[in-house]
Amino acid sequence: MSNATETELRAGHSTLGRQVALPVLGLAFLTFLATWATTFQWIDETRTVLGMTVLTLFGVALLLMAAGVAGIGVLSRFGFLDTTPSPTAGLPVGIVFGTLWAFIGMAVSLQYIGNTIVYWGPIAFVLGAVGLLTATLPREDIGSTVPSAVLLAVLGGLIVAGVLDATWVYEAEWTGAIFPGSELIPLLVSVATLLGVWSAGKAKEGFGAQGREVGAFYIIGTVVFSMLSVLALLIWFIVKNGLDTFLTGASLTGGHLNVPFASISFPFIEVPFVTNVTGSLFVETPGVMPAVVGTLWLVFGAVLFAVPLGVGAAVFLTEYADQGRFTQVVEVATNGLWSTPSIVFGLFGLAFLVPRISGGNSIFVGQLVLGFMLLPLVLITSWESIKAVPDEYRDASAALGVSKWQTIRSVVIPAAMPGTITGVILGVGRIAGETAPLLLVFGGAPYPSKSPNVVGQFSFSTEPPFITNQALLEPASALPYQLYATITAGVFPRPEIYSNQEFGWGTALVLLLVVLGLYAIGVASRLYFRRKLHYE
Amino acid sequence: MLQQIPYRAGEFARDVPRRLRSYRARTDDEALLIHALGGLTTLLTFVLFFQSSKWTVIPLLGFVAVTAVGWRRQQAEVAKGLTFLTTIATVSILALIIGFLLWESKDIVEHMGLGLLTKAEEPLWGASNEGQIYSLTPMMMGTALTTLIATAIAAPLGIAGAIFISEMAPTRVREVVKPGIELMAGIPSITYGFIGLTILNQYFYAEFRTPTIGNYFAAGIMIGLMALPTVVTVSEDAISTVPESMKSGSLAMGSTEWQTTKSVTMPAALSGVSAGVLLGVGRAMGETMAATVMLSHTKGFPSPAFDVFSNYGETLTTVIAFEGGSASGLQLSALFAGGVVLFFTVMVLSIASQWVEWRMQQKLGGEK
Repeated sequence: MSNATETELRAGHSTLGRQVALPVLGLAFLTFLATWATTFQWIDETRTVLGMTVLTLFGVALLLMAAGVAGIGVLSRFGFLDTTPSPTAGLPVGIVFGTLWAFIGMAVSLQYIGNTIVYWGPIAFVLGAVGLLTATLPREDIGSTVPSAVLLAVLGGLIVAGVLDATWVYEAEWTGAIFPGSELIPLLVSVATLLGVWSAGKAKEGFGAQGREVGAFYIIGTVVFSMLSVLALLIWFIVKNGLDTFLTGASLTGGHLNVPFASISFPFIEVPFVTNVTGSLFVETPGVMPAVVGTLWLVFGAVLFAVPLGVGAAVFLTEYADQGRFTQVVEVATNGLWSTPSIVFGLFGLAFLVPRISGGNSIFVGQLVLGFMLLPLVLITSWESIKAVPDEYRDASAALGVSKWQTIRSVVIPAAMPGTITGVILGVGRIAGETAPLLLVFGGAPYPSKSPNVVGQFSFSTEPPFITNQALLEPASALPYQLYATITAGVFPRPEIYSNQEFGWGTALVLLLVVLGLYAIGVASRLYFRRKLHYE
Repeated sequence: MLQQIPYRAGEFARDVPRRLRSYRARTDDEALLIHALGGLTTLLTFVLFFQSSKWTVIPLLGFVAVTAVGWRRQQAEVAKGLTFLTTIATVSILALIIGFLLWESKDIVEHMGLGLLTKAEEPLWGASNEGQIYSLTPMMMGTALTTLIATAIAAPLGIAGAIFISEMAPTRVREVVKPGIELMAGIPSITYGFIGLTILNQYFYAEFRTPTIGNYFAAGIMIGLMALPTVVTVSEDAISTVPESMKSGSLAMGSTEWQTTKSVTMPAALSGVSAGVLLGVGRAMGETMAATVMLSHTKGFPSPAFDVFSNYGETLTTVIAFEGGSASGLQLSALFAGGVVLFFTVMVLSIASQWVEWRMQQKLGGEK
């Protein structure tokens, strides 16, 4: 590395380049955040700050960034700054700028010259080539600052000059949709600020290997930060919109907890939205109780079906089967089953199980279909965790004269249990929110007036099949299914209490709580077991 | 692994007599009887269930009885037999799915021929004066469009996220970010769909004046967000399997962390990362609920083909979910044909990603 000896020297004193790059970085981050706030309409784009509209402010910020970045690049090129640039910014950078310029050429010529490839093709190509060459030919300090400064300056200049403003509209030839400046400009600016962040990040560390590292770190960090923000936003949307519905009539001490077999009752938390039925005219607050019960029965049945099968198969594959032939086929099949789309499971249930079991939608078929979906995950996770049991355990047990099956039962399976349990919980979190197969094999009335009474419906007869359970053979409602029904065809029966949307958000919140609760337990148990293993 | 399966299957078949002899020698007569009875009752149960006979319960009870008696007398052998049965059951579920999908879609294939996958002129779907016409072409186009958009979002962001988690983030940040991403995978798809419907679709309709509420672009974005965690977790696993010695070697030569990531870790993990992307593509393709809720269910071809804001909106998954509950006859058969197309495409992606991952293990897992 050519800069290895210089790094030490440079780290000691703060350079001018660093002093310029830091404010540019700060400005770029602020602008990036502000563009997204504008897109989400937390900041109105027509609002005036410091005597300018928000959009104009974006333009000014871009110009400032362009000046700062280009300034560092030029000063560094003429030796006024203490930097360690490489001979070129590199081909990948050139390709990025070339593609950007090619797209700009394409969009502009499509709009102003003509909609034939004879016109826009060459223009896009020439601009792309220019973009590629200007980024790759000069030394790195110019190649990675000036091209992005030009882009920033062009966009910023157009905005400040008023060519692009909130009332400007891009009416594309190729679609019926239009793209108003009020929405498009924040988007373009946010992409441009990413370029600014990258250039300023490189400049801050004086280019070279160190600069490229920091540049990459800033870009990837910003991307990951945005990704997590999206996650937080999704959850926040649901909580914000669903909380009112969820808490209707709720109180901390309004309910009663009855102690069974003794006529004592304690004040208890009351959440009518969760504990009331949906469809009856006699409840004050319609709730989601039947759907919650439906979901619980589905999950219970699926676990009862999938866990013995999955764990049994995992035991056979690791302990009994010869590794290699048969196991590979099973592995491919299991992974295939795991990536099979859920709706295909629904189709299979519709063709195979429905006519043979209930003749129509039913809880039992729903349980089996979800069990099929859960099975590959249980198999994969318990397979992994049985494989992870150290052979010393098995050897020690065998050395004591314990038979193979006894070893499996009392050594291998208990040692593999933590991993399996975690896998099952994560899998249950997944199937509890699964909707697509339920549409085909399970769903009944979306707003039932009573919960399915599975326990009380077992009846015995002398005719085969001897035991029947009417409740299991009838359709029911489940949380995700109810949410789907509310969204699509939903006409909520009590519009004076909840609108469709309010009830939907409430259901979504309960569903999210159930699923995320299961996930949190799964992730926490994994952390717990991992810590325990580390200490051993 | 995969190219060896035909060879191994042949070897396996040739091996059968030896295996049978060895099994006979290792198993005493009573255990043999229990195995035979258990296998027989299982088979009978399945056959009777397949015939939808009301007598299914008799062999089932027989199986329970054999197992119960056997458990008391020959626990080890019964356990072995049971675990073998569960393995067979798992594989046969996949076989049954393939069989039933093909069987149910036979009618529409006879009716439409190759036109089922290629017909691109109106009428595309439904009974008209030209008779019953069901063409899956517009749905395949829709699936391709949404999957492309979703991949364009999930692949770069997912790989960036994986690099960040495994190579850049300090331990404390990693311990927050990784479960966070997994949590993102846990949010039910219908919830994504609800948010997409009430917020994203409305936004595009109000601001970009799309011809209808709901378009491929908005649905593609939502599906991309949903496929993102798959790409991140699988790619992250691949990056962290790159042996530490390779990275240390590069760092010891004086490379920066980023140079090491770019020139050593990523090329080594490339196959694993592409396996993650392939799995993400499979997830995006099979994603049902968000698309069902967000798209307009109008079948047709946008013109030009890349007009993702058009009023058309139907994919293979959405048509099955939307019409499956009420369809019958040829229409239902067409939906099953859609399921076949979907299943085999995703299966090819899954097998391809496993093959790629297997290649990576061959390359890197020398000491394993």
